[in-house]
Amino acid sequence: MSTVAITFADELRSRSDEDLASIFRLRPDLVTPVPNDFSALSARATSTPSLVRALDSLNLWHYQIIEAACALPEPFKKSELVAVTSEETTFALEHLWQMGLLYKEGNNYRTPTNLKLLIGEEPAGLGPFSVKNFDFGSLKDIPKTSQEVLEKLTWGPPRGQIANIKKPGNAIGWLLDNNVLVPLDSHTVALPREIAIKLRGGKIHKEISSKPADLVGKKVVQKQIDLAAIANISTILRWCEEFLHNLSDEPPTALRTGGIGVRDLKRIAEHLGVDETCAGFVAELCYLGGLVVIDSDDQILPTSAFDIWLTKTAEERWYSLVVLWLDTSRVSGLIGKVGDKSIAPLGPELDRAGACLIRRTTLKVLSENQQICPDIKSIQEIVKWWNPQRANSDFVEWSLREAEWLGITGQGVVSTFGIKLLSEAEDLGIESALPKPVDHILIQADNSAVAPGPLLPELASEMGTIADIESRGGATVYRFSEASIRRGLDHGKTGDQIKTFLSKTSKTPMPQPLEYLIADVAKRHGRLRVGSAHTYIRCEDEGLVQQILHDKKCEHLRLRKIAPQVLVTDFELNEVIIELREYGYLPAAENAGGVLLSQPNLRRSKSRPKPPRIISEFTAPKEVIVLAAVKSIRTGERSRKVEPIVPGTSSNETLALINQYIAEGKTLMISYADNNGGVSNRIIDPISISLGTLTARDEASDEIVQFRIPRINGVAPALTILENKADLDL
Amino acid sequence: MSDGPLIVQSDKTLLLDIDHILSDECRRSIASFAELEKSPEHIHTYRLTPLGLWNARASGHDAEEVIDILIKYSRYAVPHALLVDIAETMSRYGRLRLEAHPVHGLILVSNDAAVLKEVTRGKKVAPMLGKQLDDETIVVHPGQRGFLKQALLKLGWPAEDFAGYVDGEHHEISLRQDGWKIRKYQELAAEGFWHGGSGVVVLPCGAGKTIVGAAAMAHAKATTLILVTNTVAARQWREELLRRTDLNEDDIGEYSGAKKEIRPITIATYQVMTTRKKGVYAHLDLFDAIDWGLIIYDEVHLLPAPIFRFTADIQSRRRLGLTATLVREDGMEGEVFSLIGPKRFDVPWKEIEAQGYIAPADCVEVRITLTDAERLNYATAEQEDRYRFCSTSQTKKDVAVALAKQHANDQVLVIGQYIDQLDQLSEALSVPVIKGDTPIKERERLYALFRTGEIKCLVVSKVANFSIDLPEATIAIQVSGTFGSRQEEAQRLGRILRPKADGRGARFYSLVARDTIDQDFAQNRQRFLAEQGYAYRIIDADEIIKKN
Repeated sequence: MSTVAITFADELRSRSDEDLASIFRLRPDLVTPVPNDFSALSARATSTPSLVRALDSLNLWHYQIIEAACALPEPFKKSELVAVTSEETTFALEHLWQMGLLYKEGNNYRTPTNLKLLIGEEPAGLGPFSVKNFDFGSLKDIPKTSQEVLEKLTWGPPRGQIANIKKPGNAIGWLLDNNVLVPLDSHTVALPREIAIKLRGGKIHKEISSKPADLVGKKVVQKQIDLAAIANISTILRWCEEFLHNLSDEPPTALRTGGIGVRDLKRIAEHLGVDETCAGFVAELCYLGGLVVIDSDDQILPTSAFDIWLTKTAEERWYSLVVLWLDTSRVSGLIGKVGDKSIAPLGPELDRAGACLIRRTTLKVLSENQQICPDIKSIQEIVKWWNPQRANSDFVEWSLREAEWLGITGQGVVSTFGIKLLSEAEDLGIESALPKPVDHILIQADNSAVAPGPLLPELASEMGTIADIESRGGATVYRFSEASIRRGLDHGKTGDQIKTFLSKTSKTPMPQPLEYLIADVAKRHGRLRVGSAHTYIRCEDEGLVQQILHDKKCEHLRLRKIAPQVLVTDFELNEVIIELREYGYLPAAENAGGVLLSQPNLRRSKSRPKPPRIISEFTAPKEVIVLAAVKSIRTGERSRKVEPIVPGTSSNETLALINQYIAEGKTLMISYADNNGGVSNRIIDPISISLGTLTARDEASDEIVQFRIPRINGVAPALTILENKADLDL
Repeated sequence: MSDGPLIVQSDKTLLLDIDHILSDECRRSIASFAELEKSPEHIHTYRLTPLGLWNARASGHDAEEVIDILIKYSRYAVPHALLVDIAETMSRYGRLRLEAHPVHGLILVSNDAAVLKEVTRGKKVAPMLGKQLDDETIVVHPGQRGFLKQALLKLGWPAEDFAGYVDGEHHEISLRQDGWKIRKYQELAAEGFWHGGSGVVVLPCGAGKTIVGAAAMAHAKATTLILVTNTVAARQWREELLRRTDLNEDDIGEYSGAKKEIRPITIATYQVMTTRKKGVYAHLDLFDAIDWGLIIYDEVHLLPAPIFRFTADIQSRRRLGLTATLVREDGMEGEVFSLIGPKRFDVPWKEIEAQGYIAPADCVEVRITLTDAERLNYATAEQEDRYRFCSTSQTKKDVAVALAKQHANDQVLVIGQYIDQLDQLSEALSVPVIKGDTPIKERERLYALFRTGEIKCLVVSKVANFSIDLPEATIAIQVSGTFGSRQEEAQRLGRILRPKADGRGARFYSLVARDTIDQDFAQNRQRFLAEQGYAYRIIDADEIIKKN
C-alpha cells in the first residue's frame, strides 16, 4: 500500500501547535470552516482552490522555488533544491514549509500531489524526465545545426513539432539518435528535463531574485503632493455629487444586461467635464457605496443612502467610498470597448479575480516609496514580482490612475492622506486640509453669481434649483436665466422667496436686472395651467352645464368645472354617457377632432394579451434516456445484491485505499451515503481526489461523478466482490 | 494653502477676486497667458485657452512660469490635471517653426520629426509644402505663409513665425506731442505690439485707439496702409494723424469709393477693398502698390472674410489690429489670431474709466409695454418679422421722442436699425437723420454741426456704429439694433464714452418692448457690457411719459 497521501496528513499531525497556527495564518481559507481532523485539513490544504489561493499569495521568488521543487524527482534533499535555484533558497524553505506547500519526509522534502498538477506538467518550461540513461558527455559533440534546435527548446516550451518523426532531418535526427531529444508522438519531440537543466547551467530559472527591483521615479516634494491630493479629493467628491444629482435630474434607463449605456455615459461625462473612463469610474464608485442603484423599473437612480451620505463630513464621505474601492473585485478600468463588446459601468461584467490583490500591492509599493512618482514600467515590474500569478500591467496602471482620481495620490505620489488611509489611522486629516465652506455668494450685474469656495450644502442645493452652474471647481459660478428661475418656481418657491434668499445670501447688493428677471418670470409662471382628465363634457349652454354640475344624481361622477362651458371627470367616456343618459340628459360622444361619433363604440382592453400557458400530455422519452435508465437500474441491482460484502473502512483507510487504486487504475466498489442518508453501493473507476472529493466514473450512469470522501463508508476492489460475474449478469 | 485672490476652476476658467489685496498684482501676472472673458464688479473671469497659452509662449513665458503663477495666487489647490494640460498645450507651440532659408526661401522646421510627420499628413497642409530637405526641414511653397499658419493652428500645432518682416519703404513719422501727451496705456499697447511683431490691441471705444495706431507708425517709420470701416472714419483717421504726428497733408491719401489716392500713408475702406468687378476684386493691387512697412486694421472685429484671405498673402508685413471688442459673432477669432496676430494688449474698460480717460456711463434699459393692438399684431406676425414689429412700434417711438425731449439740453444721438423708423423719428423730433444713402459730404456737415453744438440731436442708422468721433455726445437712445449683437451694443455705447469737457457722465438708453423677442435680444446684447462691469438699470416707460 502506498503511504504517500497519508504522509502529508501525518506530517501535519506531527507539526507543533505553533507551526499549525502558522499555516492557518498564512492560508486563512483553511480555517473557514475549521477542519474536523488532520485528514480533513490535509485534504483541504491540498485542494485546488486552496492551493491556487496559496500560490497567488507567493511572490516571484517563492513561486520560482516551488516551481523548482515540482521539477525535481521526489523526495529531494534541501541541497538539491538549493543547487538548482540559489543559496538564498534556504531562507525561503521554512516559509514554504509552514504554508504547507512543501512537507518533510525525514530529512527530505516532498510537494503535495495536487500542487504538481497546478504547476503543470512542464514546470518552468521543463519537459518530462528522460527514461533512458543519458551520457552528458555527448553534449559536447552536438553539431551546430542541432545546437540551434536545442537553444530554442532549452528555456521552454520543451516540446517541438516536426512534420514526420520518421524523417526528422539532420539536426533533429542527430538529437533523437543521441537521446538528447525524445519523441512524444509522431509529430512531437521533447527535451528531457535533466538535459534541459544541464543546458540551463544546472539552474532551473534564468534569473532568481529574493528581492523586487528598486522603484524608479521622479522625486516630488510632499507639500505639493498633498496640495494636489486635496484638490483631487474635493474633485472626486464633487464629481460623485454632480453625477448623482444628474442621475436624479435625468435618470438613464439601464441596459438589458444591466449597467449604463454608452450614450448615457457619454452624456454624464460631458456633464462632469471629464472623459468617459473617468465618468465610468465615478459611476462605479457610487455604485460600490450603494449611492446609486438600478431600480425595479430599470431606471438608474440615486438611493436614499445618497441623502445620508451628503450630510456627512467630507472626510467621512471620502473614506466611506475609498475603503470599498480598496477591496472591490470590480475593475472600472475595463469599462469601454473590449474587442467588439462594450462593458458598461454598473454592469455584471466587471468582476475580476486578483484585482484587489494587485491594487493593494500597487498601493503598498507606493507607500513604501514615499515622495516618488513612479515610472509606470518600473512599478508594473515590481508588482509583478510580488504577485507573479496575478500580474496584470493594466490593473496596475488603472489602480494608479484611480488612486490619483481619489486623491490617495497627488501628482502620482502617495499623499499623507493616502498613507494614513493605508495604515488605517483614525484621523485622516482631510477635514482640516480642505478649504472651509463659504456661506455667501457674490451676485454680479451680468446675472451671474460666484460662490468663492465650497458652498454650504444647504445653500448649494438651493442655488442649484434657481441657477445654472456655469463653472465648477474650487468655486462655483452660477448663472441666472429665465429657465433657471422658472425651475426654482417649479420647485414650489415664490418669486419673493427667491429674492429674499438671494439678498440674504449675497454679500453684494442684488442687481436690479436680476430683480426684474425674477419678478418677470414669477408673474408669468403658472399662467397656463395643465392637468389631466379622462373625459370632458362641453356644452354651449352654460345653464345646462351648471345644472349637471349641481345635479345630485351626477355627484358621484365628481365633475369639475374648468371653464364656463366645460366640465371634466376622471370617469371613462362610456360610463359618463350611460350615466348621463340614465339621468335624462342627451349626450353625444365626440372624437379627438370634435367630430360626433355615431357608430357603436367597439370596446377593446388596454392591457397586452396574456394567453394562458399550454400544459400538454407527456411525450415519449428519447431512446438514450430509456437506455440510460435501464443501465442504471441494472447496475443498482448489481450493487444491491453485493451490498453486504463491502467492508467498512475508516476515513484514513478509505483515502489510502482510494489513492492506491487510483495509482493502480483499478475499478472498485464503494458504499456511499446519499444526501438523504440512504446507503447504496456504487461501482466506480476512481480518477482523482481533491477538496475532500473523489472524482470517479460511475458505472451505473457512465458519467464522471463527485463523491464526498466523508460519505464513503467502505471501499473494496470490485473484483473481490464480483467473483461470480456470470451470476450477476442476469 | 494660501489665501490668494485667484480661484482656478477645473473648466480652465480663473476667477479673480478683485476686492483682494493682491488682485492687482495677480491680474498683471495672469494677463500674459489668460484671456479676460468678463470683468463685472466683483469677480473677473479669465480663461485659459490654447490661443492664450500659445500667445504667452510667443512672448517668452514658459509653462513652469505659468504654473508657478497659478499656484502662487491660487486660493485653493490647483487640479493637477489642469497643470499637466497647461504644460502639454504650451509645449506644442514652437515645436514647428517657420524660418527663412537663404537658398530655399520659406521653410518649416521642427526638432521633433514625429510632429513634422503628423502635420505633413494633414490633407490641408500637405499641398502647401514642397520638398523635404531632411528629417527636420520641409520647404514651404512661397506665398503660403499665412495659410500654413492658419492650417497648423487648426491642427493644434501652431508654428512660431521666425521668417521675419520686410521693413517696407522708409517714411519718417514721429508723434508731435504739443498740447497733449500719449497716455501710459497707449504707449504700452504700441510697445506690446511692436515687440510682438504683429498682433491685436484691444481698447475700449473712446480710449484713443487711433493714437495707438499713430504710435505704432512712429515705431515702424515706414509706409503704412490703414484699413477702416467707412469713409467718415477714414477722414477722421486722417485728421487725427495730422493732429498727432508730423505727417503733412500730402503724405496721407484716401482710397475709397470717392477718391483713389495712393500715398505713403494710405487710408482705405473695407468696402472698396472688397468691391468686385466681374467677379474679381478690383482693388487688390493696393496691397502691392507700395512696399508697405505696416498695415493697420481698424475695428478688426468687423474684418470681412475676403480681407482675411488677402491678409494671408501679406504675412511678411507687420500687421496691427485695433478693436474695442474682440467678440466676433461669426467665431472667427482663430483667423484673427493666426493671420493678424495674437492679442498683444488688453485692458478692462472700467480701468480706463477709473483713470478718467473714458466717461463713466449709466446704462438704462427702458421697458415699454405695448398696447393690446400692438401685442396682437406682434403675436400673429410671421416669425421673421417679429423683431421688426416689436422694435418699431408706435409706443416705442413715443417713448423715444419723450426721452429726447427730456434731454433737450444735451447732445443726443438716437440710434436705430430700421430706416422707416428713423425717418419717422427724425420727423417727430424735427432733427436731421443720417443713414446709408446720406452723401458723405452731408454726413460730415451734420457731424460737424453736432460737434459744435449747433445741432443738439441726431437720428442715425448703423452707419454711425463705428469710428465716428462725436466727443460731446452724452446721451444715446437706442430704439432697435441688429438683433442680439453684443459688439454693436458696445460700439454704440462707445459713441458717447469720450470724456466730456465738464466731466459729465454719459447715459445710454436702450428701449425694449416688454414680453417680446426684443427683450431676449436685449439681454444677449447687454452681455458684453455687463461683463465689462456696466450695470444696466431698468425703468418703466411710464415714468418717462409721466415726467413729460
